[in-house]
Amino acid sequence: MSQQPISLLICALGGEGGGVLTKWLIDVARLSGYAAQSTSIPGVAQRTGATTYFIEVTLQTLASLNGRQPIFSLSPIPGSVDAVISSELLETARCASNGFPSPDRTLIISSSSRSLTVPERTHGSDGRLSSTELTKIIAEVCRCHHVFDMQAIARKHGTAVSAVMLGAIAASDIFPFPKEMYQQVVRDSQRGASASLAGFEAAWTIIKNANSPIETVQQLMHEIASTSIHPAISQHFPAVLHPLLQLAYERLVDYQNTAYAQLYLQRMQLIVKAESKVGAEQQHHYAASLEVARYLALWMAYDDVVRVADLKSRALRKHRVLKEVRASASDVVKIYDYLKPGLPELAGYLPRSWAIKLLNWEKNRTARGKEPFALPLQLATHTVTGLLLLRVLSAVKYVRRFGYRYQEEQALMMRWLDAVIKACEENGELACAIARCGRLIKGYGTTNQRGKDNLIYTIDVISQHSFGHVSERIQAINQLLQAASADDTGKAYDKTLQALGLSARPVKAQPIRWMPKSR
Amino acid sequence: MEVSFKEEIASLQLGAGEVFYGEGILAITKALLQSGVAYVGGYQGAPVSHLLDVMVQAKDYLQTLGVQVQACSNEAAAAAMLGASIHYPIRGAVTWKSIVGTNVAADALANLSSPGVIGGTLIVVGEDYGEGASVVQERTHAFALKSNMLLIDPRPELSHMVEMVEHAYALSEASNMPAMMELRIRACHMRGSFIAKDNKKPKISQHAALRDPADFSYAKLAHPPATFVHEKLKISERLPAAQRYILDHHLNEHYEGKQTDVGIIIQGGLYNTLIRALHQCGVADVFGQSDIPLLVLNVTFPLVPEQITQFAENKKSLFIIEEGAPAYIEQEIATALHRKQSTTHLHGKDLLPAAGEVNAEVMMQGLVKFFKQALPELDTQPLQAALAATATRRNVIAEKCDAQLPARPPGFCIGCPERPVFAALKMAQQDVGPLHIAADIGCHSFATFEPFSSGHSILGYGMSLASRAGVSPVMQRRVLSIMGDGGFWHNGLLTGVQSALFNGDDAVLLIFKNGYTSATGTQAIISTPDEKIKSAAVDKLMSLTATNTTIEKTLEGLGVQWLKTVHAYRVSAMRDVLKEALTTEFSGLKVIIAEGECQLERQRRIRPWLAELLKHGKRVVRVKYGVDEDVCTGDHACMRLSGCPTLTLKDNPDPLKVDPVATVIDGCVGCGLCGENAHAATLCPSFYRAEVIQHPRSLERLVAQLRRVFFNFIQPA
Repeated sequence: MSQQPISLLICALGGEGGGVLTKWLIDVARLSGYAAQSTSIPGVAQRTGATTYFIEVTLQTLASLNGRQPIFSLSPIPGSVDAVISSELLETARCASNGFPSPDRTLIISSSSRSLTVPERTHGSDGRLSSTELTKIIAEVCRCHHVFDMQAIARKHGTAVSAVMLGAIAASDIFPFPKEMYQQVVRDSQRGASASLAGFEAAWTIIKNANSPIETVQQLMHEIASTSIHPAISQHFPAVLHPLLQLAYERLVDYQNTAYAQLYLQRMQLIVKAESKVGAEQQHHYAASLEVARYLALWMAYDDVVRVADLKSRALRKHRVLKEVRASASDVVKIYDYLKPGLPELAGYLPRSWAIKLLNWEKNRTARGKEPFALPLQLATHTVTGLLLLRVLSAVKYVRRFGYRYQEEQALMMRWLDAVIKACEENGELACAIARCGRLIKGYGTTNQRGKDNLIYTIDVISQHSFGHVSERIQAINQLLQAASADDTGKAYDKTLQALGLSARPVKAQPIRWMPKSR
Repeated sequence: MEVSFKEEIASLQLGAGEVFYGEGILAITKALLQSGVAYVGGYQGAPVSHLLDVMVQAKDYLQTLGVQVQACSNEAAAAAMLGASIHYPIRGAVTWKSIVGTNVAADALANLSSPGVIGGTLIVVGEDYGEGASVVQERTHAFALKSNMLLIDPRPELSHMVEMVEHAYALSEASNMPAMMELRIRACHMRGSFIAKDNKKPKISQHAALRDPADFSYAKLAHPPATFVHEKLKISERLPAAQRYILDHHLNEHYEGKQTDVGIIIQGGLYNTLIRALHQCGVADVFGQSDIPLLVLNVTFPLVPEQITQFAENKKSLFIIEEGAPAYIEQEIATALHRKQSTTHLHGKDLLPAAGEVNAEVMMQGLVKFFKQALPELDTQPLQAALAATATRRNVIAEKCDAQLPARPPGFCIGCPERPVFAALKMAQQDVGPLHIAADIGCHSFATFEPFSSGHSILGYGMSLASRAGVSPVMQRRVLSIMGDGGFWHNGLLTGVQSALFNGDDAVLLIFKNGYTSATGTQAIISTPDEKIKSAAVDKLMSLTATNTTIEKTLEGLGVQWLKTVHAYRVSAMRDVLKEALTTEFSGLKVIIAEGECQLERQRRIRPWLAELLKHGKRVVRVKYGVDEDVCTGDHACMRLSGCPTLTLKDNPDPLKVDPVATVIDGCVGCGLCGENAHAATLCPSFYRAEVIQHPRSLERLVAQLRRVFFNFIQPA
């Protein structure tokens, strides 16, 4: 016999039971009468890092080899791995990028689920890799592949993903072991055997019934019920804008009132009118209007403590929480909300002159090195008082329009809208780029302030500086938008400014703490 | 530690003829007992932690054999333990992670090797090198060379490894040299089987203790003038004795092959990879039958020059496959051949990369080059094509991904008490400005990865405080040193604290008191909560680290005047105390103890307890954190202060919003960091804490029902 043993590479994250899976496979091999060897690189793997396990099994039983054993390899050889099983899509792609699977030999079984890496999560807007792209990578480097959500199956059956992986391996027939032997080994393991067997069976069925090898990764497309579009929208706006405007209209009625929603539509009229003037070939099917429709609605429905109180005191929200924490009907659930309103929140509801006085007082305090004034609350919203408090707070929305913050926000959003309208006269794509900067407006407190600062600075700097061609300006805006989302310290933004040949923003005054040091 | 090694301990007790199934490192452990070892020590660290962990838990059984087991405070202590075999014919074994552990042990090892041993001594070193390694990349080989210790690098197959342990002892006794056995990561974790032998009780042990000490002998002291004699003895007697034993017992394996013009000399540990690589070249079968003659060095120091020259005889070319730099083996072989005026062409690092792991691919690339020169008639085209195809596949994916796929380094566990401290540190630096941070070895070094990206230097285990001594004087701001309790007891107390106090340094030390040496596998230390306290605790959910104040008392006893203990999860309090330490008028050593039990151990402790309570229908409170998806802003500031695996993203359910929102997935242990960060950093108000009460009291149930009725009236949909 000169054929290599059958080789399987397992890719997993630490703590997912890759070690257990490996031991199961070795035991199945032993019970079935085959020689096998496994190795692993566990390292500090219990702490969620990427890790791999490698198993080799002889093609023939020990008996038929007369006790002769092959020399097992301790590590997988790129291009000559028979199967790869992975509990996470990025890890499967990583394995592929390391060259282990090959199109003439390797079967890949991968979970479609993602465990997002830290850089993907810490990105300011959306840093996630595309699952579709990852799946494509995988599909091109193997002879056959099965992609399905192993984690969902594990959750459904209350077991670890290792049991699901074992079921998939068993069903794939890469090893010459009978199904009963796999089940036997799982039964013999100490804990949670019945749940493991259920997960095993579910994965077995999926692999055995896989008609199309690929489970298409569904992109979540939000379908908007176009049941009834408000006549004010359907009569005055192009059809392409209807769904978004309807959503926005409903949102703003819910946020404030009908009059506020009407104000939104009036503002949208201005944009649509401006964009209609753009040459027909440049209209882009109201691309700028679409962007503005989305971000203007979100800006007008800016987040504040009143809105939060409203959202947190709804019945729907309570049902969602109960579902998320997997509470059963007999459980009692207590919910505590973390709120920390500060002086700026309060000032937002005061008349302008009062608000400015209050904010200046706060500014002076912090300049002296004191902590900003804020009230950290853990509000027990499952209690009667907690709920009443939230309801009272949410009723403040009726005076929102008289407050300082409301006026500030409206003034700033008009600056942005004006910039878009002005750009429309020049170039459709430029208008679109400025409109997209609306994405920067989100969040509360300093996040919100930073977003607004970045947006206004971007608009100003682009209009004040002369660029050679309009395409350069568009490019500059796009780069600045990306940089503003990339980090919250503003370093990336300033670097991009400099790369564009502009000067970095002036340093903001900040209280300095002197540290005594005697030597 | 709360992990149980019941199965492993059972396999240590297997008798003659029974089959052992398990990992390589456990096989070595069994082999020690089969060799009649009398004492065992060491310091934990991957990939050899298991050896000591299992031994420590098997104390009762080992007592029946008379084997003494010691969990040493560091590798130097373990190496010093081997001193027992200088005077007495007893066999000892110690273990640690290398290269770092060997570095720490170096002083004792040199002083052990100088007089030499009469009882066999074996140091099982986990060669933490190449893929999966966590330490600086250096070769243990250098220590064998400089201190004249045997270095065994066994072919990775369990029965052979076990055999080599037995030989190592005999070899050590035959040559008076201490023996080191280097085991690579994969060999330690390799699962296989071997036929066991009976364990041997040591002749001299606690059951048969010596009545009198050995006679005074100056020659046994590592002290001048004896040391000058030792140096000569090493060369004139010990090395030849070792070489004789190696030849007589065929410790290095010579495999004949039909291509007699060429030959390969390889370290034993790389043998399996070589066979697979040769199989890919079509010159070996999978059972190890090779056309190329092989000399497998299971002992890589000392080499036996006559064995090498004999192997090289009548060969046109030799290929030395050696891992890492410098290429000590190749240099020695070159010298041996040169002295014999051999005409054999010698290849090695000219065909292999000078640095790094020699994996199958690297080896195949080297073999192709070797065969092209030495065996031109051999068709290497298929192999070259396969190697090229792999390279192409990689390039295609690299191009498609634009850049590298994001790495997934290890990180803090879910609910780790160290994560909140680094969140607090990030916030403190926003107020006092960026700091020079002297980092250390331990779980807390995961803070060097995103999202914290914290730490300027790592100088070794427990070295952080010492490593700032040169930085502090030239820095306008204070320097922060971070140390775990593991590092504190391993080394930091003496090299750091004592030195800073003695020199009156203006230093800030942050100690993570989680109760265990967690990064090495949660082994117990002197400041670990007592077993009795653990079992007596009424509320087992509480962190129990506060029950052991050995660290605090030690620091006070040493004269530390500024010492504050803060619970790790109190983020605001931690931020404030950090700021205070960095700005206070007090100019001496300031120590902050961040207290919070290792979550891995805590979970292992409370899970069975909670399961038991639930089984009996008792009241259990489960805490989980969550994010309101319609309140979340999608700016992910919370992630930049956490990085917890259960705090992740999902698509925004709001069709108007495009950025994904935060979500807390299953697995959240309710540690409280999300809520603490939300307040301390004034994050968005989307976080909530849910307390799910299973089997609630009847009054609780009644109140909940009344609330529900009331809510139905005033709550909007």
